[in-house]
Amino acid sequence: MRFAAYLTTTALVAGLAATAATADVKLGELYPFSGGLALLGEESARGLEIAVDQVNAAGGLQGEKIVLVKGDAVDNNQAIGEARRLISLEGVKAVFGTYSSSRSIAASQVAELAGVPYFELGAVADEVTGRGLQYVFRTNPTADDMAKMIVQMITDKIAPGLGVAPGDLKIGIIHEDSSYGTSVAAHQEEYGKAAGLTIVADSAYPANTVDMSSLVLDLKSRGADVVLQTSYQNDSVLFLQQANEAGYQPKAIIGGGGGYSLTPTMEAVGAELMNGVFDVDFTQYAVNTEFTPGLTEFVAAYKAKFGGEPRSGHSLNNYVGALAILQAMNAAKDFEPDTIVEAVTAIDVADGTTAAGYGIKFGKNNQNERAAMAGMQWQDGKLVTVFPDAAAVSEMIFAKPSN
Amino acid sequence: MQTFFQIVLNGLMLGGIFAIISVGLTLIFGIVKVVNFAHGEFLMVGMYATWLLTTKMGLHPYVTVAGVVPLLFLLGVLTQRFLIQPLMAARDDHVQIFATVGLSTALMNLALMVFGADIANTPAHGLRAPIEAGPVRMLTGQLWILVAAVALVIGLRAFLARTNTGRAIRAVAQNRAAAKLMGINVDAIYMLTFGIGAACVGLGSALIAPLYPTSPTIGTYFVLTAFVVVVLGGLGSITGAFAGAMVIGLLDALSGFYIGSDVREAVVFGVFLLILILRPSGLFGTRAVLAHVS
Repeated sequence: MRFAAYLTTTALVAGLAATAATADVKLGELYPFSGGLALLGEESARGLEIAVDQVNAAGGLQGEKIVLVKGDAVDNNQAIGEARRLISLEGVKAVFGTYSSSRSIAASQVAELAGVPYFELGAVADEVTGRGLQYVFRTNPTADDMAKMIVQMITDKIAPGLGVAPGDLKIGIIHEDSSYGTSVAAHQEEYGKAAGLTIVADSAYPANTVDMSSLVLDLKSRGADVVLQTSYQNDSVLFLQQANEAGYQPKAIIGGGGGYSLTPTMEAVGAELMNGVFDVDFTQYAVNTEFTPGLTEFVAAYKAKFGGEPRSGHSLNNYVGALAILQAMNAAKDFEPDTIVEAVTAIDVADGTTAAGYGIKFGKNNQNERAAMAGMQWQDGKLVTVFPDAAAVSEMIFAKPSN
Repeated sequence: MQTFFQIVLNGLMLGGIFAIISVGLTLIFGIVKVVNFAHGEFLMVGMYATWLLTTKMGLHPYVTVAGVVPLLFLLGVLTQRFLIQPLMAARDDHVQIFATVGLSTALMNLALMVFGADIANTPAHGLRAPIEAGPVRMLTGQLWILVAAVALVIGLRAFLARTNTGRAIRAVAQNRAAAKLMGINVDAIYMLTFGIGAACVGLGSALIAPLYPTSPTIGTYFVLTAFVVVVLGGLGSITGAFAGAMVIGLLDALSGFYIGSDVREAVVFGVFLLILILRPSGLFGTRAVLAHVS
């Protein structure tokens, strides 16, 4: 009896597997789904899932239904192992991922060696596309783009708003000392100098620091008017609180992603103290939807599928990148790696026509040269887009004259 | 000059925080002779307990001491009874170290599962308000931590020196076998000591929670410094831990300003190594320190 049931089940499963193999196209979905990065890893994956749903609803890829195969990139080693499994065992036609830069750098090597296209939709480190790999493409903006946007925001908008020439503002750069903070800070210094800004400090600190009072005093004694911080959550909170408690009120504070975009950071610091703090990061949701067509539909699809508001901009940026890639793959004639690469290289999407605002066109090193971050500001407990003007939903506000 | 005084004051305040965390660690080391790698996670558990009691029941963070300290005492007793005691008979003492490392990882991941990776904010109830003392300023909460750390050191020393239980604890530290022959229940003393050590960090966590956002990894931020403080002060020396904490706090603040925030860890650990080379048993340690808990 039992044996018969077992046989039937096996037959059923085998039958299902057989149909799946013939009529579907498999794509890899490689993100950290467990461990410390799980929250934003999963948030990123949701963007890809919504893009896939949308393409499937419109008839799939070249008439075939997309099936996503998940890989859990919980650490660098497992990212490599899962990439191998997806490519050689599951036979995916392309891999999408990865949120974390280090996982992406590790896993994309595997794809490159196997000659399978690897699409990075969310990792920001320069090295992801800086290695001259042939099959690795990135759609999202990078650490370099973050620094570029911050400097541009200072010269174009903040300095005029404060009524001073950009060169007269003293800029203090502080950053956590891992490769993330260090690379953004190096680009800030590079672009800042090119734009004629006066940089008075560039200080690194370990992200797990428990005291930043000396750093605050240092910035204060150097008279920094604008502080640029590239940080995680804990150190963002610590800096904002300790600066306030030391009576240090710079004219502007600009955070680079990480902790600065998260609502719990604002709650920890308090809406009042957070008011006027700037943040440059992936496009978020309080943005001019004329510049980001499709954003409203994305949020509606997100709510319908996951039953809540998106928790960060990661899902949106993954969605935009994935959708453009999938549409290009759909227009190709087959799923051979070189056909996919050819189709993707031909993508030419203009700025202001995607749900994240930025366009898509791959340039040097297969990096999307149109990718851009957005400038935002905390106003009354909400993170609203204030820069560039086309994406802004609110005017910049400036801190009350102090000191 | 004003900046210099402010930096020194910041250093002392930071030292107070390190002191209140390190006292329990050095006690457990001095008496039970276990290096408790889960000490930072005890701090984390205490901070989450404070956060829960303040946000769910609207208590003042300092009122939660009444609940958090007994909770941590219990956690300490249970750790000794069910994790360390069964391993006391092991041929190799290092087994206990690995057990506390395991406990540390387990508690951290448990917190990650229960509370998530986001930070939890204990309401400050005015404890973040700065006190202006002439040209310098400090936080109300920081001052109370320093006061509590001093009181804790004095109280613990008096307890160990004057009470019968305190004498029994010292006797066990001096010679476990002899203490047993004198009729002291050694297992009970170990449980009590581990409990007191954990309760000390419980007190610290209720005082620290309003000043730092709580997260599952918050313990790891403090614990390395706590070990440095304990070794610097002389393993097992309570007064030494306090002095060590002040030294580290001042070094951290001064080097962070005058040399640069990126090298302050190098300075702190450099001086730490130098002191150990010159005084291998730490500032207050002697070869016999474990015998009479100075």
